[in-house]
Amino acid sequence: MLEKIRQFKMSYYMRNRVVHYLIHVVMLIFLVVSLFPIGWMLFNSFKDNTAILSGKIALNRAPNDCARIEIKGDYLWTFGANGGISKFKKGSLSKVKHTSVKSHAMSYDSDNDHIWASTAEKGLMKLNKDNLKVIKKFEYPLWGVDLSKISSTVTLVGGEKVWIAVEYKGLQKILEFNKNTGNFSRLIDIDSDISPIVVRVMSRVGDTLWVGGNTGLLEISLSAGEVLKSYTFRSNGAYTQVSSMYTRGDALFLGTSDGLYSFSMSEKSVNRIYGVADGLISEQVNTLSVSGNYIFLGTSSGLSILNIVTGKVTSVSKLFASLDNGGIDHKTLSQAEVFSLAYDNGQVFVGSTRGRVSVLDVRENSVVDTGSLDKGHLIVRWRNYVDMWKNIDFGLYLRNSIIICGIATILAMALATLAAYSLSRFRFPGNKQFSLGILATQMIPALMYLIPLYVTFFKITQFTNIPITGTYYGIILVYSAFFVPFSIWILRGFFAAIPVELEEAARIDGCSPLQVFWHVVLPLAVPGIIATGVYIFLTAWDELMFAWVLTNADTMTIPVGIRNFVGNYQNRFDLMMAAASVATLPVLVLFFMLQKYIVKGLTAGAVKG
Amino acid sequence: MEEARKNFWQNIWQIMRKHRFAYYFILPTALAMLLLHLTPIVQAFWMSMLRLNLQTIEQYLLAPFVFLRNYYDVLLNPDSPIRIGLWQAVRNTAIYTFCVTLGTLWVGLLVALMLNRKFRGRAVIRTLFLFPWVVPTYVVGLLWMFMWQRGIGIINVLLVDVLHLLPVKPFWLIGPNTIWAIIIPTVWRYWPLSMLMLLAGLQQIPEELYEAADIDGASPWRKFWMITWPLLKPVWSILILFGLIYNVYSFNIVIMMFGFGAGFPGEWGDLMMTNIFRNSFQRWDFGRGAAISVLLLLTMIIIVNLWFRYYKRSEERVR
Repeated sequence: MLEKIRQFKMSYYMRNRVVHYLIHVVMLIFLVVSLFPIGWMLFNSFKDNTAILSGKIALNRAPNDCARIEIKGDYLWTFGANGGISKFKKGSLSKVKHTSVKSHAMSYDSDNDHIWASTAEKGLMKLNKDNLKVIKKFEYPLWGVDLSKISSTVTLVGGEKVWIAVEYKGLQKILEFNKNTGNFSRLIDIDSDISPIVVRVMSRVGDTLWVGGNTGLLEISLSAGEVLKSYTFRSNGAYTQVSSMYTRGDALFLGTSDGLYSFSMSEKSVNRIYGVADGLISEQVNTLSVSGNYIFLGTSSGLSILNIVTGKVTSVSKLFASLDNGGIDHKTLSQAEVFSLAYDNGQVFVGSTRGRVSVLDVRENSVVDTGSLDKGHLIVRWRNYVDMWKNIDFGLYLRNSIIICGIATILAMALATLAAYSLSRFRFPGNKQFSLGILATQMIPALMYLIPLYVTFFKITQFTNIPITGTYYGIILVYSAFFVPFSIWILRGFFAAIPVELEEAARIDGCSPLQVFWHVVLPLAVPGIIATGVYIFLTAWDELMFAWVLTNADTMTIPVGIRNFVGNYQNRFDLMMAAASVATLPVLVLFFMLQKYIVKGLTAGAVKG
Repeated sequence: MEEARKNFWQNIWQIMRKHRFAYYFILPTALAMLLLHLTPIVQAFWMSMLRLNLQTIEQYLLAPFVFLRNYYDVLLNPDSPIRIGLWQAVRNTAIYTFCVTLGTLWVGLLVALMLNRKFRGRAVIRTLFLFPWVVPTYVVGLLWMFMWQRGIGIINVLLVDVLHLLPVKPFWLIGPNTIWAIIIPTVWRYWPLSMLMLLAGLQQIPEELYEAADIDGASPWRKFWMITWPLLKPVWSILILFGLIYNVYSFNIVIMMFGFGAGFPGEWGDLMMTNIFRNSFQRWDFGRGAAISVLLLLTMIIIVNLWFRYYKRSEERVR
C-alpha cells in the first residue's frame, strides 16, 4: 500500500490544481480567523451583559418561567416571564395558539376579552384573548427613563382601570391607565412618604388598593390617589416580604417570605397562620389561590394544599419529576419554584420555572399531566446602542473627534500639499535636507514632543491667561503640525506621478508658477490629496496620547472617552463593545469608500523604496 | 574680504530669488515644523538636564540645572525611583518589537503569497483581509482586552472549554503571558499593511523568472529564497525599518488594555512609551521623563543607522 502511494505520480497539471485548492482552503480559514475578532466585537455588542459575564458564547435566552395561569371555559392560558403567551386546550394540554411579545419584566392581568401585559421596553400591551393578537401598545408616560432598565412590573386590572407598578432603579411608580380613553390618567407616587418598597403584588378592594412588596403592605386610597398607611411586619428581624394576595371577605391572605399570613382589613391586624412547622413545604410563598375549602400555596420548592375545614396540609414536591420530552434541564429542577396556580374542578394547574405546567388531581394527590412552554426568545440587545449614548457621553466625544480630526486634517493637508509640491518639483538648495528632516521626524518618539509642549502650554497659560490645553485650537494646532511630515511623504508620490510636461506647457502659455499649481497641478492631485487626507484623518482618529494630555472633559475625543469609560465601568462589556463598534464604523466607511486611492498611495511609496 | 562677504550674501539672495516659489510653498510647513517640531525637541534636550517636576514647573527654564544628573539617575543610580520597572520596560519593548516586526512581516508575506495567484474574487478577499488594519488601535486594545479575560474571554473559552487544549484557564492579563497578550493583537492589527506592501512588491516581480526556474526544475522553496525574497528586499527592508520604529513607540494598544496599570512597574505588559508616559504625566517627573526619551531617541538613531549601513552594504554586494 505504502509502496503504491509512493509510486503514485500526479500529472503536473493535476498537482498544480491540488496545491492551488489547498492554498485556497488555508487562505479562507485564515480569513475567517483574522476576521473573527471584529465579528466577535459586533456580536457581543448585541449581547446581554449577564450573558457576557457568565462566559456564555451564545446569546442568552429569556427565562420562560410560567408567571401566570388562567382558566376560562375549555381553555387554559399560560403567561411566560419572557412575554410568551400560549393558549392550551384544557383537557389535553395541547397548544392552540402561541404568541410572544419578547420583552422582560413582564406581568399580566386579564379581563373578559383582553389580556393586559406590562413590559419593560414596549409599554402596556393590549392583546385579544381569543387569538392572542396584539391590539395596541401604550407607551408609559415615563419620559427620560431608560426603559430597558425597568426591572419589574406588576399589573392589575379592575373595572375600567389598569394599574401598573413599575420599578426603575429602585424607584417605584404606580401608573393608572384608563381603558376607555386609552390614556394613562394618573401617576401615584409611593416613594415620597414610605420606606422604599418594591411592589410584588396588588389587589383592589372597593376604593382601596392593597399593595404588597418587599417591606410589607401599603394601603392606597384610589379616590385620593395617595398612600393611607403602610403596614410592616417583621420576622426574625427582617421585613416580611409579601409576594401574593388573595381576598376573601374581610380577610386578606398574604403569601409571604415567611409563610401564610391573614390580614383583617377592618381591624388592620395581621396574624401568621401557617409556616413550615405546620407542614408547608417551604416558607417562601410565591403564589396562593383559594378555592372552596382549599388554599393552594405555590412555594419556592413545591406546592402545599391546605384544607381549611380539616386543617390538614398536603405537600406536593414531585411536580418537578423528570420530564421525557427534553424541554427541561434536570440539574436545575431542585431549585424549581412554583410561580402560578389555577384551580379548576378538582384539578390544580401549576406553572413553575423553566416553563413547566403540571396538572395535579387534588383528590388523588397525583400529577396527571405535564407540559412545557416554548423556549424563551434569544435576547438580542439592540438597546446597547441606545444605552451607550446615555451611559457614555459618546455624542460629545464623537463631535469632538470629528471637529478636531477634521480641522487638523484640513490644515495639515493645506500645508502638506504646498510643501510636497515644492519638494517634488523644484530642485532648490535645501530640498534634500528638508526631505530628510521630514523623514527623520518619524523617528522621534511622540512623547519627546508631548512633554515640552505640555510644559510650554502650561507656561503660556500662566503668563497670558489664555488656556491652551483643554481647548480645541490647542490640540488642532498640535495635530496638524504633527501629521504634516507623513502627509508630505505620501503626497510626494502623487505629485511625482503627474507628468511634468503639462506644467511646462502651461508655463509656456504664460502662467505663473502659482497659476500652474492652482489650475493645472491641484485638480490633477485631488484624488491623491483626498486619499492622503482620509489616511491622516484615520490616524488622527486613532490618536490617544496627545489627546489624553491636551484635552479636558469638554474636548475629550473618542479614544480618551472610551479609555475613561473602561476605567470606570470595568464590567460593562456590552456597552464597551457597542462603543467600540460605533468608533470603528465611521472609519470603516471612510476607508472602504476611498480604499483604492489609499492603497495606491501607500504602496506607491513602498515599491519605489 | 568685505567684497567676498558681500558676494556671498548676494549669491544667497540670488538663489533665494531664483527659487522663491519653492520657498514660498515650503514656508508655512517650515514654520510649523520649526515651531512644533524643532523647538520641542531642543526643549526636550534642555529639559532633560533640569530637575523639572510638579514643584519646579513654575520656574520652568529656570528650574535647577542638574546637567547629566537625570541621565545618571536613569542609567546608573540604583536608588532612583525612575528605575523602578525601567529594565522590565526595556526588556518588554525589545521582545515586543522583535516579535511584532517579524510577526507582521511573515504573516503578511504568507497571505501576500496566497493572494498572489489568479482566482475569482481576489479583490474582495484582499479587501476583507484589510479589515483588521482599519480598526482603530484603541478599539483593538479594548477588544482584545475583552477577549483575553481569564474567566469569560473567548480565547480561554475556546482553548479550555471547547477545544480542551489546556487543563485550566490561564491568566493572560497578569504575569508573563501579558507580553503575548499585547504582541498578538498588534500583529493582528498591522499585518494587513505588510501584506499590502508585499503584494504590491510581488506583482512587480516578472513572471518569466519563475517560468525559467520551473524549467530548471526548482522547488517552490528554492524559488522563494532565490527569486521572491531577494527581489522583495526593498519592500521588506522598509517594512522592517518602519516596523522597528513604530513598534518601539507603540502606546495605544497597551494603554487601552491596562490603563496606567500597564504597568505596575515590573510587569510584562509595560513598554517604553507607557513607562515614560507614566513617569511624566502621573509622577510628574518631566526632567527624567525627557531624559529617558532622549536616550530612547539616541538608541533608535543608532539602530536605524546600523540598519541603513547594512542595507547599503548589501545593495553594493548585489551590484
